[in-house]
Amino acid sequence: MTVQTQIISKMREATQGGFLSWTVTVDHKRIGILYLLSASLFFLVGGFEALLMRIQLAQPDGKFLSPDMYNQIFTMHGTTMIFLVVMPLAAGFGNYLIPLMIGARDMAFPKLNALSYWTFLFGGVFMYSSFIFGGAPNDGWFSYAPLTEKLYSPTHGMDFWIMGILLLGFATTIGSINFIVTVIQLRAPGLTLTRLPLFVWTMTVTSFLAVFSLPSLTTAVLLLFLDRQLGAHFYNVGQGGSALLWQHLFWFFGHPEVYILILPAMGIVSEVIPVFSGKPLFGYPAVVFSAIAIGFLGFTVWAHHMFATGMPSATLLFFAADSFLIGVPTGVKIFAWLATMWKGKLRFATPMLFAVGFVAMFLIGGLDGIHLAVVPVDWQLTDTYYVVSHLHYVLFGGAIFGIFSGVYYWFPKITGRRLQEGLGKWHFWLMFIGMNLVFMPMHILGVEGMPRRIYTYGAGRGWEIWNFIETIGALIITVSVLIFVVNFFASLRKEANNEADPWDGFTLEWKTASPPPVYNFAEIPSVRGRRPLWDEKHPDLADWKVGK
Amino acid sequence: MKIFHKCALLAWLGIVLSGCGPSPTFLSPASSIAEHEAKLYDNILIMALVVFVLVEICLIWILVRDRNPKGDNKPPKQIYGNSKLEITWTVIPVLLTVVLFAMTVQTMQSVAAPAASANDINLHVIGHRWWWEFDYTDLGIQTANELHIPVGATVQITLDSVDVIHSFWVPQLSGKTDTIPGQTNHMWLTANQTGVFIGQCAEFCGTEHAMMRVIVVVDSQADFNAWVASQQKPAAQPRTEDEQAGYKLTSTLCASCHSLNPAETDAKVGPNMAHLFSRSTFAGATYDLNEENLRRWLEDTQPMKPENDMNLNLTPEEIDHLLAYLILLK
Repeated sequence: MTVQTQIISKMREATQGGFLSWTVTVDHKRIGILYLLSASLFFLVGGFEALLMRIQLAQPDGKFLSPDMYNQIFTMHGTTMIFLVVMPLAAGFGNYLIPLMIGARDMAFPKLNALSYWTFLFGGVFMYSSFIFGGAPNDGWFSYAPLTEKLYSPTHGMDFWIMGILLLGFATTIGSINFIVTVIQLRAPGLTLTRLPLFVWTMTVTSFLAVFSLPSLTTAVLLLFLDRQLGAHFYNVGQGGSALLWQHLFWFFGHPEVYILILPAMGIVSEVIPVFSGKPLFGYPAVVFSAIAIGFLGFTVWAHHMFATGMPSATLLFFAADSFLIGVPTGVKIFAWLATMWKGKLRFATPMLFAVGFVAMFLIGGLDGIHLAVVPVDWQLTDTYYVVSHLHYVLFGGAIFGIFSGVYYWFPKITGRRLQEGLGKWHFWLMFIGMNLVFMPMHILGVEGMPRRIYTYGAGRGWEIWNFIETIGALIITVSVLIFVVNFFASLRKEANNEADPWDGFTLEWKTASPPPVYNFAEIPSVRGRRPLWDEKHPDLADWKVGK
Repeated sequence: MKIFHKCALLAWLGIVLSGCGPSPTFLSPASSIAEHEAKLYDNILIMALVVFVLVEICLIWILVRDRNPKGDNKPPKQIYGNSKLEITWTVIPVLLTVVLFAMTVQTMQSVAAPAASANDINLHVIGHRWWWEFDYTDLGIQTANELHIPVGATVQITLDSVDVIHSFWVPQLSGKTDTIPGQTNHMWLTANQTGVFIGQCAEFCGTEHAMMRVIVVVDSQADFNAWVASQQKPAAQPRTEDEQAGYKLTSTLCASCHSLNPAETDAKVGPNMAHLFSRSTFAGATYDLNEENLRRWLEDTQPMKPENDMNLNLTPEEIDHLLAYLILLK
């Protein structure tokens, strides 16, 4: 099929329109939108689950949820936010933007792309259906064996979790391969790897991480499936199995997974900060290299999740040292963002607010992580609320802020309308205050001896006030999310003004119409630098003339 | 040092830390291990706070100075990078990791287990869903949820689990160590002051993970000796008719899960009852042990600790008899 007939068939598909056309679409932009909308719905569900937990823990000896319901809720909150929210949101942005950013007409494998999305959606719905089929999974998002064996988790919740994880892992794997091939094969003329937008780079590294780490998770859950359904004994100690086998297999996936969650957000922030500073990203090669370095290091630190399992000192020190090293490329990025803003002309539209919020909050998630990499301190703090605080500064203050930055930034590209700025600022500030009220006191609770994953606690341990403040913070976050939902629908009802380039952007997606036509670019652009649109708008200051 | 912690937390938060009950925090250490851990925590907190404050000040300064309220359209100077600067902010964190590594090694040496000696107390901690079994292997004592140790003595602990993974943690005495089925772990501790210290299971272990708590009573040597002597005695004998009836129930109904032999070494399903009322709490150290709470428990355990394994169908008369005997078990 020639390119022309492809375009014609795509145009036909788009003009036919209608709800059903979305179910058969293979257009990367529509699949991107489907990913973004589905993951946003799961975000509301996962957030609601967090709110339920905070209501339960607002006071000591809370009776709002039964113990088992609390355990199901915290398991589904973690599983949802990781597998059904942050990963598919990144996939949504990747699908929508990567072809646009690299000047391509679609992803390399459009049908595979559709398969990836529908498998993800089915996996998510399937996992949630467990609530009506005898109870949701209830062993936490990392589901340690042997608690997950049938003897200790007799409901079908774990079986739903296993099958759901397999489906989601499959969806992510084929989606990642698609990203990798697209980036390697379909770049516009002149768009060399050293000129790729940072978001494309981080999505590529993320895709490699997913492809190499997911097999470990797949193996882990398949073995668990065999244990539970066919009477195998991989994790069954009484029959010669090993309880720690699960932890090694799981965290060999689980730590790279952290970078799978944060790298796309780092990419978004690395797009937004330069545009709203009016400057190129400071030290592009170092930032790209640091993303790749984080990808490699991410595979060498998994056992820092297992410091209390009784490993020998040499092993502990090896994993501690590797974990410290992660701080180096992370620092490179933070300093690069600061230097990008330095002496820029900063515009504080909502995308920039969330991007700056990302830098400020992610820094905390990096620094408090040091305590957890230092073995003797980790012996005190692991499995406490300190860890919950740390991971939420990374994944809420980091990933979610980065994603919201991207939502406000690219909403005009996707819909032809900007989100309303006033409501956007309310959303940002309330979410910023709310998240600090929720997660900062968790540091203190961890230090004060409160373990994570407890459905209740007794009075008189000094934990009441902090838990109460956290619940207030959770309510504030709820309000901020509702404001966003209102903003979303109100902005969609406005008349579109279809600005192609509302933010004075740098990268190729702003070169085409908003929303872009099905074929993306009437003419495939050719590229001479890292900021093709900047070069076009400022011929005298073009990167290929003055930049390195 | 305690004041420093509070100040640091204040700085971290800007919220007044007052009116809180005493919490089981390792920042109020009662052992040399917790002291070392707290010191390391402090030093790293200071390092992290310095970096935090410097970076955030730098960030806020840039944000305030370089904001562009008038919407000036002239592009700012395009700066692409600066190798010297980039090398500097790569090398400095590398040096910091070396410092962190040295600090970690030093503290790990300081908290390493001392060689076993004849004076040590040997303790076997076994995790059960959802309570702690404590076997004093040399003293012939088995108890549950409430641990007694003498101040100043080295306690060498081996840890096991009979079911899933738990984690034994009394913050003021030591960091946590997992109890893992099929793998025996080791830890040690020496309390340097008398007192009562609380902790709880730190690894999610199922429905009642939250209700798997532990109390450690650090006694003076004399108190500990007296406690050992009382624990080594056999369980009390019934005297009155009610007590007799209670004893009969205990040794038939209860004994299928709870031992009355204080020198048992592998607990049955539930905690040893030989000296039940020498303990201040029950049900995983979650309820005060008194006649009233125990009556509620015997009437129906499920509202107090949902999904625990103890399901009794006792008549009020049986409960009266049981209580009459059980309160003798001091």
